[in-house]
Amino acid sequence: MRKFLAIVLLLILAVGIAQSIGKIPFGTSKTKVGRYYIDNGVEETGATNIVTSVVVNYRGFDTLGEVTVLFVAALGLGAVLALKKKKQENDELERASLVLTSGCKFLFPFILLFGSYIFIHGHLTPGGGFQGGAVIASAFLLIYLGCRERKINENGAKAIESLSGLLFVVIGLIGLAVGGYFLLNYLPKGIPNTLFSAGIIPIIYIAIGFKVGAELTGIIDNLMEAED
Amino acid sequence: MVNPVLLIAVPLGLAFSIPLFGFISRRIEKYIPVAGMLFNLVLSIILVPKVLQSPIVISIGGFRPPFCINLVAGTVGVFLSVVIAAMGFLVSIYSLSYIKEGATEKYHMLFLLLLTGATGVVLTGDIFNLFVFYEILCISSYALVAYPGSREGIEAGVKYLIQGALGSSLVLIAIALIYGQFGTLNMADIARNISSIHSMNIFLPFVLLIGGLGIEAAIFPLNAWLPDAHSSAPSSISAILSGIAIKIGVYAIARMVFTVFGISDTFLFLVTLGLITLLVGELSAFKQQNIKRMLAYSSIGQIGLIVFALGIATPGGVAGGLFQILSHALSKGLLFLAVGYMIYRTGSMEISSLAGMGKRMPFTSLAFTVGAFSLVGLPPFIGFSSKFMVIKAAMAKGSAIFVVLAALVLFAAIIEGAYFFRVVQIIYFKKSDNALKREEAPPTAIIPIAILVTLIIVIGIYPNFLIGLLNSAGSEFLNRVQYIRGVLG
Repeated sequence: MRKFLAIVLLLILAVGIAQSIGKIPFGTSKTKVGRYYIDNGVEETGATNIVTSVVVNYRGFDTLGEVTVLFVAALGLGAVLALKKKKQENDELERASLVLTSGCKFLFPFILLFGSYIFIHGHLTPGGGFQGGAVIASAFLLIYLGCRERKINENGAKAIESLSGLLFVVIGLIGLAVGGYFLLNYLPKGIPNTLFSAGIIPIIYIAIGFKVGAELTGIIDNLMEAED
Repeated sequence: MVNPVLLIAVPLGLAFSIPLFGFISRRIEKYIPVAGMLFNLVLSIILVPKVLQSPIVISIGGFRPPFCINLVAGTVGVFLSVVIAAMGFLVSIYSLSYIKEGATEKYHMLFLLLLTGATGVVLTGDIFNLFVFYEILCISSYALVAYPGSREGIEAGVKYLIQGALGSSLVLIAIALIYGQFGTLNMADIARNISSIHSMNIFLPFVLLIGGLGIEAAIFPLNAWLPDAHSSAPSSISAILSGIAIKIGVYAIARMVFTVFGISDTFLFLVTLGLITLLVGELSAFKQQNIKRMLAYSSIGQIGLIVFALGIATPGGVAGGLFQILSHALSKGLLFLAVGYMIYRTGSMEISSLAGMGKRMPFTSLAFTVGAFSLVGLPPFIGFSSKFMVIKAAMAKGSAIFVVLAALVLFAAIIEGAYFFRVVQIIYFKKSDNALKREEAPPTAIIPIAILVTLIIVIGIYPNFLIGLLNSAGSEFLNRVQYIRGVLG
């Protein structure tokens, strides 16, 4: 009986939702803001990757917020897990085989290089700070899984996280001081399609890359150390 | 020229830099939230006279709206940011010695970020930006609820996390639907075009937004997470969650209803919902034996009253609702802060264990009594003026139904009185078995509690200097056309 009622209720809801959004013509040329970005993005921001020009320049404030959301999530996890940390973890993990450890050590710099490439070229090619940071964190995850006795320097990760977050805010504040707008793109835009173009966008993306990389690595570190 | 974006950027930067200060000395880090909130308080108060003349619209990144994110620092936004900064400042002083255990550095960062998120929500003029700051607020609240690391704390935190995440997803879906139809995320731009779309097509996003934001606002029947979360959190966090966080949800709902959608048909619905929330909250609070749970349920009731007042949707009603936000933030903040050290001394949250507190912690008990009387709505405290304003606005509506509703609000105040007087009676008149030794709270707790008591009494006696500001905020909140013109020119 309850199941039947639930199904009837779901059906009513489904019909209601279909009634409400069925006729909306999604994706038509109504997206005037999107159109504006496509038409003027390269000229106004200097970034050939339109997504980047929206994420870091037009809606850079959101990105600052999103970086903070990730930061808060990592912090919260750390705060909750801090109380459950093992006292001593010298319970001698079995060492992985030489093939595995050497393989991980061999791949590690290349993954870092690839991650850095993704965020440094965020304004030119698909990708950016978040993606690059995630790739970098995956390199650390590999080390944690493969060479289990190794650990990151937690203070170093914390310092990178703080400094890159601070850099983002300070770049924004300089914009406020120079031109009266927070996060104003005040550096020369350069020639599109070259590495040194798009003003503050690459700098912000590098900061985000470092920050996201350090944060995700911190999350991995916290979860690895947590008692199960 | 003071730029409102500093209200968000500076605390954010300070929160990021707390670990760096921690490298210099671990003793500095707890003073950073105090500094950040003091900065916000001063800046917001400086902004008040300016926004009374006209709202300040700030574009970020130097593009013109709707192509960039913009902040709208109107009277409502700046008023709320004053409330947030004031409560944040006082509670961060309280935290200086109250928070000793656990990852204190992370506590202070999360605390500052929570308040930054709240400030962002009240100042932004962009619906997705609102969502981002709302997420900062919510996620730091989840973490801070679970901060004590106790079983109940983590359980409450996870409950809150699941329901809150559901709410956030609903909000995100609603934003996606809105963007799909309007092609813009700017609230003023959406508001301008909303009438061009068939009302059936905006019904679903509207419902999802109210439902999603309603979870954070703890409107009945979406309030299941609140009693656990507010009672298991550290008392300083309970004060912020009850005093600030749930109000932000209500503000966001009101912004959607008044400005973005401008649907006047929902006002009566809001009034009814508020009244039900009020009655359910107060009746549940009446039954509680645990002091913090009682205060938490009473917060649900007060949220109901605020929603009721905003739903009246006259300038007077909205002004009353905003006044009630201030009055509840101060009174409930005071109650949680006072109760925090009482619980610390007795080691129990049972109401019966508070017996003899009147002799053991005379000042804290007196402060609790002031907070309780103010919340019930006794003169000469601030709660009286704010409730009076709400009732007056309801009566001014003139229809018979509002008279009945106002009578129900007064009935809820009687229930409220009953359970608060019971606690006050136990504190002062019930004999305690334990040996009574005076053990007052430390100065870092006494100072914010004393400031709150002073504010409650002073504003209660001279509400007039606020009334002008509140009335201007009330009419600004309801004036969609002016909002749209202010942003888009």
